[in-house]
Amino acid sequence: MGSEYAIEADQLRRTYRGRTGWLRPRRTEVDAVRGVSFTVRRGELFGLLGPNGAGKTTTIKMLNTLLIPTSGTAVVCGQDVVRQTREVRRRIGYVFGGDRGLYERLSALDNLRYFAELYGVAPRDQKRRIAELLDLVGLAGRERERVEGYSRGMRQRLHIARGLLHAPEVLFLDEPSIGVDPVAARELRRTVADLAAGGTTVLLTTHYMAEADELCDRIAVIADGRIQALGTPAELRHRADGRRVVEVEAYGVPDTAVSALRGLPGVRETAVEERGALQLLTVQSDAHVDVQSDILRELAGIRLGRVSSREPTLEDAYVAIVSSS
Amino acid sequence: MKTIRLMTVGGVIAYRALFNWTRPSIFIGTLLIGPLFQLLFFAYLGRQLQVADDRFYLVGNAVLAATLAGVFGGTLAVGNERRYGTLGHVLLSPRSRTAVFLGRALPYGANGLFIAVFTLSVSALMLGLRIPIGAVPGLLTAMAIGSLASAFFGLTLGALGLRFRDVWVISNVAVALLMLLTGVNVPRANLPGWMATTGQYLPITHAAEAARQFAAGQGWSAAGPQLGREALVGLGYAVLAAVLLKVFEFESRRTASLETL
Repeated sequence: MGSEYAIEADQLRRTYRGRTGWLRPRRTEVDAVRGVSFTVRRGELFGLLGPNGAGKTTTIKMLNTLLIPTSGTAVVCGQDVVRQTREVRRRIGYVFGGDRGLYERLSALDNLRYFAELYGVAPRDQKRRIAELLDLVGLAGRERERVEGYSRGMRQRLHIARGLLHAPEVLFLDEPSIGVDPVAARELRRTVADLAAGGTTVLLTTHYMAEADELCDRIAVIADGRIQALGTPAELRHRADGRRVVEVEAYGVPDTAVSALRGLPGVRETAVEERGALQLLTVQSDAHVDVQSDILRELAGIRLGRVSSREPTLEDAYVAIVSSS
Repeated sequence: MKTIRLMTVGGVIAYRALFNWTRPSIFIGTLLIGPLFQLLFFAYLGRQLQVADDRFYLVGNAVLAATLAGVFGGTLAVGNERRYGTLGHVLLSPRSRTAVFLGRALPYGANGLFIAVFTLSVSALMLGLRIPIGAVPGLLTAMAIGSLASAFFGLTLGALGLRFRDVWVISNVAVALLMLLTGVNVPRANLPGWMATTGQYLPITHAAEAARQFAAGQGWSAAGPQLGREALVGLGYAVLAAVLLKVFEFESRRTASLETL
């Protein structure tokens, strides 16, 4: 069995080097991942959270052998991702969100048949395994239709079926619920939870806090290429202890007003979420300071909707962690 | 056995997945009708200029017709992976890259053979060329080897697609060069020395010569050496394609030069 860890990343770094310009070529360097270390126990469901460009996908690509780290080491199921590439690939599955990544002209069945060949599923097991997976992801009965006619949710389920064809020990899920409707996302979460309950190690990246909170045993928050916090969802939530959150629904808040809110005494973080014409202002402050009246004063003259005050959630803790990075 | 299955079963599924010229309108128009008219053009031009007889053009252009599926199919066999965003999932396979990708050339070889047989049969009926029945096995062999060599040549170009985004430019130029340098339309003896020499290392040059020898009633002993040379050229491109795919895959992991996903 070997190590108790399915994934061991030690000081992983990845620098992208490029060139721009024709007449005067200039070298560019971007440090996407800057020394990431963590371990994932066998059977654990581990979340990697972070904003766009934080280094989540680059980290996954180093762990699943698609990228060689600039420095640092990573071991998956006891195999080094650089030196024992083939052994790692036998043991891992990879699922990513989005519409692409499937052969559009083929049926779901033929997509799975082809990847069963590529991932080394024994011919005598292929039929049974594919039927099992089609059942698992709810595509049984639709498997002979061309993928080009599939909805995003169906494609996502097919992605998952493909990732599980060879019964991998470790499954990398890179934003699997992106763009999926709420019902499909709930089914997807149930499937992921069942997999973890069955002993599969899952490394999940997501933007959705509720998803991470519901599913993950532990979460690492990554920003600016570094891990900023790591712990159970409950532990991370404590990062926002001693804070209070005021939420204000407003219409047409100018940037200057948001900046003014940031400058109020006791205010720690502010965030604006656009919801069509409505803007949802989230203001985190020290719990012992009542900032609600100051906020309303700053927003005087602006059309407001509901105003409420609440305890911080994991999402607030996440915002606090990422903002402080 | 598993490797053979990967190359054959996997190759056929990949062909259906990636070769979008299998739509009847494109297949018939581009791979059957187009080459037939091209053949007729060169045959009538040859008659006008009295450079060579009908057999020279019919057999040469039939073998040339096979290259369309090979060159463009081989390019699509890698290039379309990028289009569909599937390349990363293929590269995550623990199976042999050589088997995965060389297997993809086999259906294109078979496709090329079908096109060559169609083009030669229809043009022979139209222009009244008589082919001795005893020449058929030899002709089929020459066209099959030439088609497969073209498919491996196409796969080599496809491998370049892992490094260069606009590989279609190279494929288009390659098809024009095959028409010029392989002696299918201009006798190689009439070509400048460097062109004739270059042609020796391209697919179908030797297959076309062997096919003409068979069509002229000569036997295996006469055409055999040309068939052997064609097979060697095809094998060379198969090895080159496998090496390039390996090198570019490693480079993509090292330099992140490839949009794998």
